Amino acid sequence: MTLDGSEAAVDLKIDADDLNKCVQCGLCLPHCPTFRVTGDETMSPRGRIKLMREVQDNDAPISSDVIDAFSTCVQCRGCEPACPSGVPYGHMMESARETLADAGEMTPTWQRLAMKPLASPALLNAGTRALSVAQKLKVVPERLGLSHEIPLTQPKLEATGSDVYLFTGCVMDTMQRSVHDAGLQVLTKMGFGVMPTGDAAPCCGALQAHAGLAGETRSLAGRMMQNLEPDVPIIVDSAGCGAAMKDYGHLLGTDEAVAFSERVFDMQEFLALHVDKLPEAEPLDLRVAVQDPCHLRHVQRVHEATRTVLRPFVRELVELDDEGLCCGAGGAYSIFEPELAGQIRDRKVASIDRATPDVVASANPGCSMHLGSVGVPTKHPIELIFEAIS
Amino acid sequence: MVLSKLRELAGGSKDESSGDPFVDALRNALSADRVKYDGAHRSLHSHDASVFDGGNSGPVVYPETTAEVQAVVCLANEHQRNVVPRGAGTGLAGGAIPLGVPVVVAVTKMNAILEVDEANSIAWVEPGVINLDLTRHLAPLGYHFAPDPSSQQVCTVGGNVANNSGGPHCLAYGVTNAHVMAMEIVLPSGDAVMLGGLDAEPQGFDLRGVFVGSEGTLGIVTKIAVRITKNRPAVRTLLMAFDDVRDAANTVSDVIADGIVPAAMEVMDKAITAAVENYVGAGYPTDAAAVLLAEVDGLDSGVDIDADRIAEIGRANNATDVRLAGSDEERMLLWKGRKTAFGAVAQIAPDYYLHDTVVPRSALADVLDQIYAISDKYELLIMNVFHAGDGNLHPLIVFDGRDEGVLDRVHAAGGEIITASLDAGGVLSGEHGIGVEKQKYMDRMFTDDDLDHQNRLRQAFDPGCRTNPGKVIPSGHSCADIQSLRSVPKEVWG
Repeated sequence: MTLDGSEAAVDLKIDADDLNKCVQCGLCLPHCPTFRVTGDETMSPRGRIKLMREVQDNDAPISSDVIDAFSTCVQCRGCEPACPSGVPYGHMMESARETLADAGEMTPTWQRLAMKPLASPALLNAGTRALSVAQKLKVVPERLGLSHEIPLTQPKLEATGSDVYLFTGCVMDTMQRSVHDAGLQVLTKMGFGVMPTGDAAPCCGALQAHAGLAGETRSLAGRMMQNLEPDVPIIVDSAGCGAAMKDYGHLLGTDEAVAFSERVFDMQEFLALHVDKLPEAEPLDLRVAVQDPCHLRHVQRVHEATRTVLRPFVRELVELDDEGLCCGAGGAYSIFEPELAGQIRDRKVASIDRATPDVVASANPGCSMHLGSVGVPTKHPIELIFEAIS
Repeated sequence: MVLSKLRELAGGSKDESSGDPFVDALRNALSADRVKYDGAHRSLHSHDASVFDGGNSGPVVYPETTAEVQAVVCLANEHQRNVVPRGAGTGLAGGAIPLGVPVVVAVTKMNAILEVDEANSIAWVEPGVINLDLTRHLAPLGYHFAPDPSSQQVCTVGGNVANNSGGPHCLAYGVTNAHVMAMEIVLPSGDAVMLGGLDAEPQGFDLRGVFVGSEGTLGIVTKIAVRITKNRPAVRTLLMAFDDVRDAANTVSDVIADGIVPAAMEVMDKAITAAVENYVGAGYPTDAAAVLLAEVDGLDSGVDIDADRIAEIGRANNATDVRLAGSDEERMLLWKGRKTAFGAVAQIAPDYYLHDTVVPRSALADVLDQIYAISDKYELLIMNVFHAGDGNLHPLIVFDGRDEGVLDRVHAAGGEIITASLDAGGVLSGEHGIGVEKQKYMDRMFTDDDLDHQNRLRQAFDPGCRTNPGKVIPSGHSCADIQSLRSVPKEVWG
């Protein structure tokens, strides 16, 4: 198998029935951020599925254009709710990427190396400190899109009981621990004793799975399932991590993993289930636009909860007019494909401008950093709630 | 970015000569990144959303201006190559399938809404603007673009012009032709001209009317002045259930005969309703043999009178349930179900062939009976969903293309459906067009003289027969040799 080669066909290991579900109607096209900004069929879900078929069923070569088509996918999964045939696109793309990464066709070494520290708290802390110093010296490459000042030291999150876990994860814990802190305090005020997961669950493995390194995700998932107490709900304040953890059942295919996934809740989802326990407070004098992270809206599909729990705490809650089209962050996508990520973000920023908010509520660290790096004021919904009730 | 730089360093630069002087010339005229000649692009642009064998795409270009479209057409003439325009690729009759290894002109990047003139109810748009995007853009002003094909969330206004597209709400408002006032087109010669005009009664021959619905055979539209329609203050949507499809069909006939012109009247039979309900959960009754969705719009006082009368007519035709949508959300959900019906069938089988014929409203019930008989004869599942108000049938044959010999049965059943529709006094296509799908039936509708004259009209625009060749007009009457267009050696994989 070569980039432009004519060698033997590759089995992408995509489920044949899944692949057959697509009737090529094209209803997904406008819901795909890369098709929206390029108008290019190879950068659409329908096109990518057709290429998967050509490779898997019709012996088409793995050309550089096929690789481009797959690697430019943000994996936002905005196409899935738009699909009346129920094509499980996200899982198909993950399978394709895993096969191609295993074969050395995708996810180059620099990307693999860049993701190594995520699973290692010591490495990540050292790296983040280095980045913080670099930021102060103004030598951080722009493509990293760092909007916030990275703190050199972080406040320690103290457990307040043992009713629920608060998943702290990797990048978010080093860059936005204040969000975790807000969540921990709100949950505690609601009467839940909270255990931050810390080093027991260093990383969910979402970015690795997106990059075709699902083997690493499986091992991280296994470790997390072993380290965390059974039956305790796990609350996640990063939409991408929550979506990945809710998918462990599919990824590992064991009853244990299915049971684990069932006790994973997004922060706002959990709050909405216990909305009667939320303290009352004077609403913040803010016009807030809700930006739904894709993995909250299209994958977990619990984005309505954000509105339910946030509405009482702000003066005005407004919707964006782009039907939840991706912002281009896509985990590490904005670093791996900065040009497309920037074009996709331009559309989102235009939609935000039309909504004229004081602040944008975004429940995913990737989205808030990506939008923040071009000056969009963002806050996690739980930060706003915490601010209101404090 | 880094990846592409690494590839350039490794000698994989895409800027080097393609080995085809035509492609090199296109890259000079546009830019290298907007002229694609790789296997992936050519394979994907060899198909549309139809079930027909793909064609063979040559280079795929993404022009951004009229001048660039002109440059592409002129270069194609110079190099004696064919040209096929393409919008979103959602056509169901194979109209955008490239025959004769043409340059495929994808207008998806020409997607600007150029001007909205509220005072004169006109909007100027580029051809790649998505139909629903235009309506969304107009919503704050209280207007919409009336043609609303089921694919409106993805299909382009340029594609609507090419196919003279209809949609559920075209019953009261008319199809695309009634909403296009003027167009800038690039002729097959490469010249850009304006057809039609913004005056109420433009002088001279109505060449605009000739172009709308010409399926890309007369040139490429590059700017369109569309009529925009004021939203009505009140809307009522009725959902009626019937134990017999005939009762639903008769209700539709009786409503129109009663003098009411609803905004839309749509029927779905039991099988398709079940698939739709499974996707949207709009509360469609899944035990009914047929459901009728009827919508009236206008002034507050008028819509209630019309809605009551339609309900009365439905009950007189044995409606088992009559329900008025209680909120805008419920109404939108019901329409979402109707408009995604075709895609939803993949829950049942992986392939479908969606037909499109029109019969007189009074013949609806009889033709439907025949279609169900054809379904039994060929042992195929045929579902019916149709724009009942204007007699536009959309029988949907669902199948699994992996079953041996099934395609032969599908095509044979399709042929009988067309025959039944024509025998009832109907026509070949309501809105999908002829494309490659219905060429072979054209002689059932038209005499040899008719077809020769249609071809002469076509050649008046395109004397070289190079713009979307091999479409609409059947072999024997066409200026293009359809056999040879198909028999081009396969250079494209897949």
